[in-house]
Amino acid sequence: MAVAYTPGLKVSPQTQLRIRRSLPISGEVKVSIGQKVQPQQVVAETLLPGNVYPLNISKMLSIPPAEVPGALLKKQGDYVKVGETLARSKGIFGFFKNELASKYEGQIESISKITGQVILRGEPLPVQVKAFLNGTIVEVIPNEGVVIEAETTFIQGIFGVGGETYGQIKVATKSAEEALTPDLLEESMRGKIVIGGGRMTYEAVYKAIDLGIAALVCGGIDDQDLKAILGYDLGVAVTGSEKIGITLIITEGFGDITMARRTYDLLKSREGADAAVNGATQIRAGVMRPEIVVPIDPKHVSKNAIEDTSAGGGVMEVGVSVRVIRDPYFGILGKVKALPHEPVVLESGSHARILQVETLDGKVLTVPRANVELITR
Amino acid sequence: MSHNQSSHSHITHKALDLDKINVILATDCGSTTTKAILIEKIDGHYRQTHRGEAPTTVEKPVADVTVGVTNAVTEVGELAGRKFVDDNGEIIRPANGNVGCDIYISTSSAGGGLQMLVAGVVKEMSAASATRAALGAGAIVMETLSSNDKRKPYEQIQRIRELRPDMILLAGGTDGGTKKHVVGLAEIIAPAKPLPRFGSEYRMPVIYAGNKEAAELVQDVFKDEVELKIVENVRPVMESEYLSPARDSIHDLFLEHVMAHAPGYDKLISWADAPIMPTPGAVGDILKMIADRDQINAVGVDIGGATTDVFSVFDGVFNRTVSANLGMSYSISNVCTEATMAKVLRWVHFDMDERELRNRVKNKMIRPTTIPQTREALVFEQAVSREALRLAYQQHKEFATTLKGVQQQRTVGDVFSQQTGGNTIVNNMTLNLLVASGGVLSHAPNMNQTSMMLIDAFEPEGFTTLAKDSIFMMPHLGVLASVHPQAALEVFEKDCLIYLGTCVAVKGLTKLGEVAMRYTVRGKGLDLNGSMNGGELKLIPLWEGETATVLVEPTGRLDVGAGPGRPLEKEVRGGTTGLIFDARSRPLLLPDDRLQGQKMIKQWVETMELYPN
Amino acid sequence: MKQTMKTLVGSRWTWMMLCVVMAWNAVTVSAAPPAPPSDIQVKDYPLDDGTAVKVIFKRSPDDTGAEETNFTGYSIRTSSEVNGFFKEALEVKKAADATEAAEVVDARVTGLKEGEPVFVRVYAVGADDETSTPIQTAESITPVMAWFDFHQIRLLILVIVICSAVILFIELARRGYPMTVRKVAGLEAIDEAVGRATEMGKKNLFIPGVQDINDIQTVAGINILARISRTVADFDSEIEVPTCRSLVMTAASETIEGAFLAAGRPDAFDPKSIYYVTDEQFGYVAYVTGWMVREKPAACFYFGAFFAESLILAETGNSVGAIQIAGTAQPSQLPFFVAACDYTLIGEEMFAASAYLSGAPEELGSLKGQDMGKVVAAACILFGCFLAFISPDLMKLIFEETAL
Repeated sequence: MAVAYTPGLKVSPQTQLRIRRSLPISGEVKVSIGQKVQPQQVVAETLLPGNVYPLNISKMLSIPPAEVPGALLKKQGDYVKVGETLARSKGIFGFFKNELASKYEGQIESISKITGQVILRGEPLPVQVKAFLNGTIVEVIPNEGVVIEAETTFIQGIFGVGGETYGQIKVATKSAEEALTPDLLEESMRGKIVIGGGRMTYEAVYKAIDLGIAALVCGGIDDQDLKAILGYDLGVAVTGSEKIGITLIITEGFGDITMARRTYDLLKSREGADAAVNGATQIRAGVMRPEIVVPIDPKHVSKNAIEDTSAGGGVMEVGVSVRVIRDPYFGILGKVKALPHEPVVLESGSHARILQVETLDGKVLTVPRANVELITR
Repeated sequence: MSHNQSSHSHITHKALDLDKINVILATDCGSTTTKAILIEKIDGHYRQTHRGEAPTTVEKPVADVTVGVTNAVTEVGELAGRKFVDDNGEIIRPANGNVGCDIYISTSSAGGGLQMLVAGVVKEMSAASATRAALGAGAIVMETLSSNDKRKPYEQIQRIRELRPDMILLAGGTDGGTKKHVVGLAEIIAPAKPLPRFGSEYRMPVIYAGNKEAAELVQDVFKDEVELKIVENVRPVMESEYLSPARDSIHDLFLEHVMAHAPGYDKLISWADAPIMPTPGAVGDILKMIADRDQINAVGVDIGGATTDVFSVFDGVFNRTVSANLGMSYSISNVCTEATMAKVLRWVHFDMDERELRNRVKNKMIRPTTIPQTREALVFEQAVSREALRLAYQQHKEFATTLKGVQQQRTVGDVFSQQTGGNTIVNNMTLNLLVASGGVLSHAPNMNQTSMMLIDAFEPEGFTTLAKDSIFMMPHLGVLASVHPQAALEVFEKDCLIYLGTCVAVKGLTKLGEVAMRYTVRGKGLDLNGSMNGGELKLIPLWEGETATVLVEPTGRLDVGAGPGRPLEKEVRGGTTGLIFDARSRPLLLPDDRLQGQKMIKQWVETMELYPN
Repeated sequence: MKQTMKTLVGSRWTWMMLCVVMAWNAVTVSAAPPAPPSDIQVKDYPLDDGTAVKVIFKRSPDDTGAEETNFTGYSIRTSSEVNGFFKEALEVKKAADATEAAEVVDARVTGLKEGEPVFVRVYAVGADDETSTPIQTAESITPVMAWFDFHQIRLLILVIVICSAVILFIELARRGYPMTVRKVAGLEAIDEAVGRATEMGKKNLFIPGVQDINDIQTVAGINILARISRTVADFDSEIEVPTCRSLVMTAASETIEGAFLAAGRPDAFDPKSIYYVTDEQFGYVAYVTGWMVREKPAACFYFGAFFAESLILAETGNSVGAIQIAGTAQPSQLPFFVAACDYTLIGEEMFAASAYLSGAPEELGSLKGQDMGKVVAAACILFGCFLAFISPDLMKLIFEETAL
């Protein structure tokens, strides 16, 4: 068996993308089939009932519950802002009056004479789903969401943090090897999606957050840095809801690692274009990878562009380019030199099928087949 | 409906003349690979003869599970020189010469297995019983809702909406007990309108196994919005559980609704001669069967990439837990976070750069399929596995308890020794058999490594036989047991388990450099005696198939099963590792100091010949 | 045989006694009144509670420290009038040896009334209780209460030790120093009992004892009630509290309402479920047991002061199949509860319950501090026993002669 299937990530200059955008609970769909939508356009919307804050006025003002309605300065249904005086006790002969300022904002839902409790309900929380893509609505799922279709340049990262964001693509490094350091980031990058080459440093991420950069896309990141940025050690690879003020996407892996040439070149070719990125990652059954989606202007869609079929995996054979994805040779690129049939005993003592990789500088490495990944040059 | 299940298998039994079964084909459709094994009757005994595997094909682009099954079966066929699949792509039955098989059976955990939402009134009582029923049936419990889980109704509704379970099990209240709470739970589930995972063309299956007097009210709440099935209460009285009707109906609904809607499963169901079972459910069945037959206490563990399953049978009571985020690939980073890096590294006998390690762990997480190439990487992975197993076993101990909410009988003598209900039934001293399966354990290059991982993580006490599932055959045998118990037991004995040996450990704190126990070993060509100091390990070769009589005399308050300081003699079983005497403390204590710890581990590594050159 | 021995011993004792008596008679016959002491000074005793004066005088010439003398000691007597009736307030023994005889006597006369003037006389006493002429000061002396009673300093030390232990442990607990409280099964089981009632759709019963709110056990019981009713509110179950005292009813009602409010379910609070039955002990018990037989509660809690009714209640609860948790500091009732209930909190456990349940650093710290106090007390007792065992004189010296 001279071929083996190895998973890879999708990196495609042009692909027809269909995405489903739906609400977590039922709501209203705001668009119709055939409509063109912009990335930031709201396609579906719903309201979640606001949070409830019970305030025990009787205890807070030390008055009997029956006096609470009298002490309240607001009526049922009134709106209260944070810091606004909600109630005032009568005091003794007009002295020693106590005042109570509301700690929450909301509407007075109920006032109880028996318990002395006032229930404040906060603002309903709007939940909006944006189009994310510059495309066309092809399906409407009533009360739930839509399916959008568009021609895009589509790149999957291997891991990301942070949610959806939008911006212009801006390449900051000169090459796919160069690490993203703070000095490469400047004021003009605010709100943009900044592409680096190798590792993104902790300092660069901090500066990017300060500068208000929308997203950083790089080859790798140090786990120690990631821990410092997130403030906790990431255990389960389910991300997307972090609130760190920026979306980070790495395309290759953890540590000092160069961005794949093809990915870098593709991103570079789309510099200046508006893109949407999502750092959400889920590594388990029903895998979800971070995405960089760059819509292609309908005018420029080449009708005869071939759909990139090899991107989702490939055939391992002699001569193809691979990357080693496990220590001790992690990140090294090369070409498959040989695919011996028989299993070999590794240094670890395990029996495994291996392959030989000729690195760019001519060395030949022996690695288990499971530890390489196909890359397209 | 539960009658349906039994009548179904009844028909199967009738249709098959058990004596005439010579060739059995079994598959297990896992999330990544489909494994097929062949069992043949040789000289009147059932033996597992060949195996094959192929990638599972549930997800796109193939989206038909039978393609993977056919590939795996074809591979077995090639190896066995039999033809199993006819030109229409169907499995040929019955066997005729070297064509076809007599029975075909299958298990499935593809697409993440059977994912369930469980709801009950009190978290530690009916909700726990319902969870046990679901786990016992082989499900992954995504969430347990209860009246006292401190969440507001709207938060519970939101949670249900986020999940996309395959099935819901609602329990609560004893028979004649609370109605208010059960109906309340139904009122939360109903408006949440949970969507089934495999498309919206069928209604969500909901099993009601609570207070029978509230069944009608629950039905009124759900109306026709779900596929409601009412079975007997999992907790008819506080004092006992009755899980089998709920378990059976989970299996039924799994087949009728969930499986039937997964790609290609309709075909697979029609092929199989026994109902397709969720993989872990089948593993549990076979373990329970063996424990019941031999009157032993057994623990089984299956450590996977994302999850770790622990099964136990203590005094005939079966328990299973799934530790969802403890695993060796997808979840490896979580193991390091939960256990902390320091705890993982205490098992490593040389220095490692933590910063570098952190990156390696995360890279394994995002590229879960890689395997360790260097010895260093292997040692580290095995260190992680010890922690993953330890944490999973800890969770199992917390879950496998006696029932809560039961009235206690006391005498005046109990005044200072009152204990609460809900104590763990897991007792390492009475544990007889520990079975390992899962990549890191069964594919370890050296069986001594597997033995040590088990001993370090589970800390067995007294006499414990260690074994591993050779090629993860237990699921196949679990299903086979429902059709042909004799064949299943024969294969289990002869081919499924590879015995690693026996661990003899003292319970209690031992002191370094002080005699902890004396032993005498007598067997074929063996006549040894000696003593062990605290903190020491000793490996005595005793090969597969051999047995020896071991007499152990613990010193002081130490215990090997006969009570503190009392000697115990037992016959032990050998295996690929042999007989292991363990005079390290229970609970196992490692020095906090890194250097001292390394020295200690290094000693153990050398004694156990874990990483020979 | 034994009998004979005793008689023998007995006779020897008799002989000895006889000798002593004869010697005594011999001394008294030749007695004359001893010479009086001199140079009396009377001062208010400093740093006391105003009930003592200090009397200093020179010894009588007869007080030589010699063993064989007819002088036995001094008698210090007080009176509120200058020529009134002088009552003996203190006896002072004669000097033990010549060195002591050379010193003045410095005595502390206690048992006086604060602020009332007294006159003090000192007599030398002879062997036959014959007294010398007294010496007396001309002026009366008024004992004054000092701002600090130095004689109570041991209490101050104890207070400082215990308070600082409490403060220290509270501070430690606040800083995250782990304070572990031994697992009290009865408190752990509250959730279990309420859970049982919830699953079975039955009520929870709480009995706060038969004493009024001034009994500390009732207060401790009400504290535990707060926790139980919080659990009841969380589980959306129901609780019934019949009381034997009207004040207890009010306290219980307030507590439960507060707990329901804290659990965010003020709506579920039913004030009708807390009610007064009767002050009559057995009238109350008859009602409660009747209710139990009718309603069959699934969880019964008994926390407070109990007497004869303990077994009646606990047995009835047991017979209706309830999980029962009891707690009382009445030692006589504990065996009944232990036998008939699922869990029993004994004595201190009940008082420690509120710290145990809340886990608040302040409470845990003070619990640990109090434990320190108990350790100190126990250590003192042991030390005292030891001293008393090896040398009673030494003990006397330490505890009587010094201010301690």
